[in-house]
Amino acid sequence: MIWKIARKEFLLNLVSARFIIGFLLCLFLIPFTVAVNIDDYDSRMRVYRVDKENAENSFKNVRVYSQLRPEIVKPPEPLSIFCRGISGNVGNRVKIWLGDKPLFATGKAAIRDNPLLNSFFSIDFVGIIAIVMSLLALIFTYDACTREKEDGTLKLQLSNSLGRYKILLGKVLGVYLTILPIVLFCYILSTILILHSPNISFSAGDWGRICLLFFASLLYFTVFIFIGLLISTRLKSSITSIIVCLFFWVFFVFIVPNLAVYMAESWKKVQSYDNLQYVLQDLDKEFQNKCAEYVKTLKPPDWGNNMYHERGLDGRRIMSGSSKSMLECWRKLYEFSEPLRIDYADKKWNLQKTYLDSLDQQRNFAEMISLISPSEVFRLVSASLCRTDVASHYRFMERTRRYRDDFIDFFRDRKIFSSFLYITPQPPETFMTADEIIRIRTGGECKNLKELNEWRNAHGGSWGIILKVQIPGTHYNEYPFLNLSDVPVFRWQSENIFAGLKQVFIKVAALILISILLFYLSFLSFLRYDVR
Amino acid sequence: MIKTIIIKELQNNLYSLRFHISFLLCIVIFAVGTIAFLKNQDAKMQEYSKYRAEFRNELKETAESNAGKLAVNRRAFIWRPRANAFISDCKEKYFPNRFIYSAYNVFGFEVGRGGANPFLSTFQELNWSFIASVILSFTVLLFTFDTISGEKETGALALTLSNSIPRAKVLLGKYISAIITTMVMAVFGIVLSILIVLFSRKVDFTSAMLMETLVFLLLVFLFLSCTAAIGTLSSVIAHKSNISLLLSLTFWLVFVVIIPNTAIFWANKVFSIEHADTIGRKINTADQELRRNAPEGSNSSNPGFPFLPEHKLRAELTMKRMNSEMAIRNAYFQDMFRQLERTRLVTLISPVALFDYMNEAIVGGGYARFKKVWSDLHGYQVQFLQFFKTIDAADPDSPHWYNPWEDLSTTKKAVAFEQVPLFQEKPLSLAARISFVGNYLVVMILYIAAVFSLTFVLFLGYDVR
Repeated sequence: MIWKIARKEFLLNLVSARFIIGFLLCLFLIPFTVAVNIDDYDSRMRVYRVDKENAENSFKNVRVYSQLRPEIVKPPEPLSIFCRGISGNVGNRVKIWLGDKPLFATGKAAIRDNPLLNSFFSIDFVGIIAIVMSLLALIFTYDACTREKEDGTLKLQLSNSLGRYKILLGKVLGVYLTILPIVLFCYILSTILILHSPNISFSAGDWGRICLLFFASLLYFTVFIFIGLLISTRLKSSITSIIVCLFFWVFFVFIVPNLAVYMAESWKKVQSYDNLQYVLQDLDKEFQNKCAEYVKTLKPPDWGNNMYHERGLDGRRIMSGSSKSMLECWRKLYEFSEPLRIDYADKKWNLQKTYLDSLDQQRNFAEMISLISPSEVFRLVSASLCRTDVASHYRFMERTRRYRDDFIDFFRDRKIFSSFLYITPQPPETFMTADEIIRIRTGGECKNLKELNEWRNAHGGSWGIILKVQIPGTHYNEYPFLNLSDVPVFRWQSENIFAGLKQVFIKVAALILISILLFYLSFLSFLRYDVR
Repeated sequence: MIKTIIIKELQNNLYSLRFHISFLLCIVIFAVGTIAFLKNQDAKMQEYSKYRAEFRNELKETAESNAGKLAVNRRAFIWRPRANAFISDCKEKYFPNRFIYSAYNVFGFEVGRGGANPFLSTFQELNWSFIASVILSFTVLLFTFDTISGEKETGALALTLSNSIPRAKVLLGKYISAIITTMVMAVFGIVLSILIVLFSRKVDFTSAMLMETLVFLLLVFLFLSCTAAIGTLSSVIAHKSNISLLLSLTFWLVFVVIIPNTAIFWANKVFSIEHADTIGRKINTADQELRRNAPEGSNSSNPGFPFLPEHKLRAELTMKRMNSEMAIRNAYFQDMFRQLERTRLVTLISPVALFDYMNEAIVGGGYARFKKVWSDLHGYQVQFLQFFKTIDAADPDSPHWYNPWEDLSTTKKAVAFEQVPLFQEKPLSLAARISFVGNYLVVMILYIAAVFSLTFVLFLGYDVR
């Protein structure tokens, strides 16, 4: 009998306008959304390839170790086509510095080519499913009892020896049979589009996760079916029922997500990142002062001139052609400064960690509030399944920090900070004294530093004379790039199907419990329903 | 007669369940949104004050040690949290809000991280604009979707029209009453919100804000008129209320969710601009060309000798390099502005997007604010450079060779901090606001006229039996 009722409900729904409109809505929205997200994924892949190539080039093209600062570029997550999660807010590139632990990822994943377009939001497959499926579920159930009561068919049915639970189960099954093909159609359509896209390849684990996402979608609209059913069993007229259902829908799908984040931002304070930067800059100054103090303790070089010299961030320096004592001074400075730089990175990390923790607390607060909405629970579950949630990002950042430790260990184990090769590719046996350099480079016109200074004072500080004769083997560009085959390399592998699913199970269990509770309440309510 | 219809409809609406639920929801969201805003604003202002104090300290320190560095150092202007953001935040959190400049140029803009949390999903603040565009627009549809089809089902429409009442009056009466009913909620919510702001004393509710509120109410009226026209149109298209409800919901989804959320797609596909990495490559190529063709000695420097002839070459080279980079970047910025403006034109199909853009002019935020700051900052930069050149001209130890990246060949004397011009953001003038809102306003009015006319035409041929 349950099956008969379900079949009748299904056939009635199938020829109804709501089914046609719902189906057309999905037919238009799903391919469009998936196509937009595939296009977005393609452009992120393009950016990833450019970034990756740049990172590899800058990794390979180093002549001294102070230039070596690997950049990790994370490939875009293919499953983000289904759910973007926070992948649009965080970057995909992490530069490994000695003076800073990785705090945030940067890169165009976080910033569009045109930042002005950030004022437009975008929606993904899961977003559409969350909005449309919940609406369809409510539209198919709001009048499950009220319509039949209004038509008088409900009391006719119950005048037979038919258990009320059978009618209720039959109706639920009927709605399921109606919506299930639509959901299935959405997923099949998306899969076809993905399979036809040349740049996307999913692993077996990814397909497994899509299957789990499909089941999560079923569970999600089940919750809304029971919400609609409960409302229908509590109210007497269809029009009242649909109004109540729609307000619940707007509340859960549109208000709670914004309310949760806004309340978290307002009630859980987070320090401004710009102000944190000022505090960090103070520590940087302290570090520089200590280095400057240390320089004062060193024996001054015979000539303080950096002949060929280039410098950059995080102690990056390449030099050559300077006097032996000058290069020795720099070597000693780096032997002192680099371990200190790493210590200061740890000091800065204490502040940065506190900042990160406050961001996480704020996020947690928002997540706790958002759990009152089934659509938000579904989005969180989907983001976990698609590896675009915060936990996946944290795991990636933690891996980059561990890699930085390995990288520093490599430098320490090989005593690279105290080696000349940290700052100059010029072999120590070719180093010369200041007077030797001046004599050769001036073509014998100046014999020593004193004569050179006299010449320069007479010529307005010009270096012209020193450029007369080049000394072979004193320019860093004459040396080959370093062999970096033994430097640790960062390897990022997407997690397997089971990774990070613990939180998913908890949330899925919550959805199942809510569904059971709602059905039980609907059942109780329907038992007492006045069918007259 | 029309007055009688409006009164009857109003009575029906005000006693209906949909009014009670939406009124309650509206009032609660207005209250929660305003309280959350006040908490948020308080924290934002504290952080902003800290930032400004640090900024001034750094500026003072630099000015009192070396005027050359003051001119060369790049700084970021970060705009102040707006006190009237409870009306509309204009998504400024996601907008470029950091402007990088020095005395020599305005180099660009970026989305500052500021107090934003990247681990939170993107969201809309619960301000008046959000409530109007999501909750009130939804509510007005609920009041209009069955205004014709519902009455047809019950037979009331046939009965009404059997009297000598023109159809236009019936339609107009129902339409106006739906708008008034929703406006009642808006007015109550806004008054409550203002009372919370006044009692909190955390934000000064100025006379300018009162004016903004009144104009905002006018815009809400127009926006709700537009949405009500769409709801009535759905009601006239369908002969059953459940179908007109589905049509209304579809329209609402398309206007509130689909069109605003697919704008990026249209921007990238229809109005695509070059990628940032292509621009980066162009700048590099031009830069390498300039460096290659630079006269010998352009790369030499000696800080101890300001009058070193090579410093002149170096200053000329860096100036050319900066100009070349900025010529490419400025053209790219113009492309960005055009891309945004054209994309906005596409999204004008949605009354919600239209309403959002108009709000920017009302509160002086969003893109309107961005353009104003961008233009003003360029004016300030010219003034700042002139100030520096005057200081430099008075220094006999300076060779006056302006180098935008280094202080090698310009004055290194200290300058009193009080003399240094500071950039102050000015609010949008009334003329600028009117000019910004004008076109959008015309589109909105035409929109309402077109949809309502179509509804009227369809209603004239509507079979009421």
